[in-house]
Amino acid sequence: MRPMLSRLRRVNYVNLAVYIVLILISYQFMYPLLRMVSFALMSRDDVINPVVNWVPSSLSFGNFQTAWAVLDPRTTMWNSIWFSGLLAVSQTLVSATTGYALARFEFPFKKFWFFMIIISFIIPTPVILIPRTLMAFAVQDTSGIQMFGTIWPQTAMALGGQGVFSAILILIFYNFTKMIPAALDEAAAIDGASAMQTFYHVILKLSVTTLLVVFLFSFVWNWNETFVTSTFLGRGLDLIPGQLGRFSSLFDRFASMGGSGGAQEGGMEALRLTEAYRMSGTLIAITPLLVLYLVVQRQFIKGIENTGLTGL
Amino acid sequence: MKKKRGYQTKRHALVGYAFMAPWIVGFLLLTAWPFFNTFYLSFFNVQRTAAGWEQSFAGIGNYNTALLGNPYFVSNLIAFAVMQAAYAPAIIVISFMLALLLNREIKGRGVFRALFFLPVIVMSGPVMHQLMTSGGLTSVGIETMTLYYMVFQFAPWLANVLVFLFENYSVVLWFTGIPIILFISGLQKIDTGILEAARIDSASNWQILWKITVPILKPTILVGFILTVVQLAGYTLNPVLPMIHDAINETQAGLGLGSAYAWIYSAVVLILIGFVFVLLKEPRESNVQVKLRQRTWADRRR
Repeated sequence: MRPMLSRLRRVNYVNLAVYIVLILISYQFMYPLLRMVSFALMSRDDVINPVVNWVPSSLSFGNFQTAWAVLDPRTTMWNSIWFSGLLAVSQTLVSATTGYALARFEFPFKKFWFFMIIISFIIPTPVILIPRTLMAFAVQDTSGIQMFGTIWPQTAMALGGQGVFSAILILIFYNFTKMIPAALDEAAAIDGASAMQTFYHVILKLSVTTLLVVFLFSFVWNWNETFVTSTFLGRGLDLIPGQLGRFSSLFDRFASMGGSGGAQEGGMEALRLTEAYRMSGTLIAITPLLVLYLVVQRQFIKGIENTGLTGL
Repeated sequence: MKKKRGYQTKRHALVGYAFMAPWIVGFLLLTAWPFFNTFYLSFFNVQRTAAGWEQSFAGIGNYNTALLGNPYFVSNLIAFAVMQAAYAPAIIVISFMLALLLNREIKGRGVFRALFFLPVIVMSGPVMHQLMTSGGLTSVGIETMTLYYMVFQFAPWLANVLVFLFENYSVVLWFTGIPIILFISGLQKIDTGILEAARIDSASNWQILWKITVPILKPTILVGFILTVVQLAGYTLNPVLPMIHDAINETQAGLGLGSAYAWIYSAVVLILIGFVFVLLKEPRESNVQVKLRQRTWADRRR
């Protein structure tokens, strides 16, 4: 038997190595974020100065202010919040009913529908987008209700369970519901509760945390979605990721209207300046998500752990 | 609630369908039908006129234009396939290694895990685009390394793949968030009894990794891999998506061409997923698993 002391020491060396590797990789993970923060806090001179690499010589919020003026987050941020929230609520509701049906009921072709849920996750979005736009056009032409540039097409998709990564949300709900003892449902049924009442009073009330997890994921994914959004919503409602995507053109307009920055510097310096503005803009755009993540970080990780994706 | 008599079972099934109904209707209307309709449309010229949509049969004309007429589509498609082939395996290997490291009993494990998951929350097309165009994702300049020159001397293609991987190094890392979590929870479900038994039989850690951990986690690796391919296919750093988007919005060429683009693209994605599936799926249970199961059964019987 090895003496205890030497064994301990050996383990510590291994752990030390693990820490070093983890910290180095964390640095790589955080590099873009750190870069954003560092650029955002630099003054104009620091950005241009090639000697100043990471730490600004003096704190300045000038880049921030420019990016803020370009992105106009006061309206776009609010738009993003309520639009993602609306889609997330719709998606959460549908994944709850679907997950409940799959977890608690036996019906013909259940396996088939389950398989179709997986398929709906795998099918790439572009291939189903064109008929969807044609449908929206058809509705618009026959009923006269404006579809493009409004929130309706995407709300309909979310309510039909075909929103962003709906399949994963359904799986999360399915697995959580399976963890609730079936005896509770049966007890409710014996007391004369209908399926709807059981669903509401037993399942939903017991899965408040699940609802939160599913809502959060749905919120974040809808917030970050741009491909479908740019097709249907377009410029009908300016959202913050869309603004960020248009940053270059928005910035040019801003600069030509006499804002700070712009083209007085030439070559490398101008390039580095716009880079700093863009990084600050990106930081502004992701700040709400960062704050959200700081608050409910545990729920996010639990959610993925419990999708049941680990074993399928 | 297993077997009930006729009426009850039927009612039970109906209620189940009632709860499924919104999803089923949505799926049939917004996913299943469009999937086939796109295929149909890809053989037509679809133009928006004052009278509505006008369709005229085009045969394989759209495919001709896509594959032979447009010089960018094929090269972008190849770039996309190369990106998948380079990124997806790298993402899986790196997340597996990180999961192994995070599965150890070390302090601050939760902090690292939270850090590695963070990109999942903030990653969106525009954010990635801004970071990539501002060089925010490259912290290592691989072209300046001696190792790169050595590799380049022997195999330029391998060097190109390396440059590709390192240029967007953080992209690879940023996609590892979900696979890491999947792998960690998979690792924690492994019965410690098996590992102890292997250690008693004097298996080294290396052997345990390849003979026990990896085979047991194979289904999880499959899921993580498919998830990664799907995610990579959905992000704007992928060169084909903007092309399809333009084809949809551009009224000149019509939606038929866009449909052809979308179908070819989806075929490539589905082939990639199928390839991963064939590569990683369990043909039969591996020997280890059979033995393990027999062992646990024997334990239970005792």
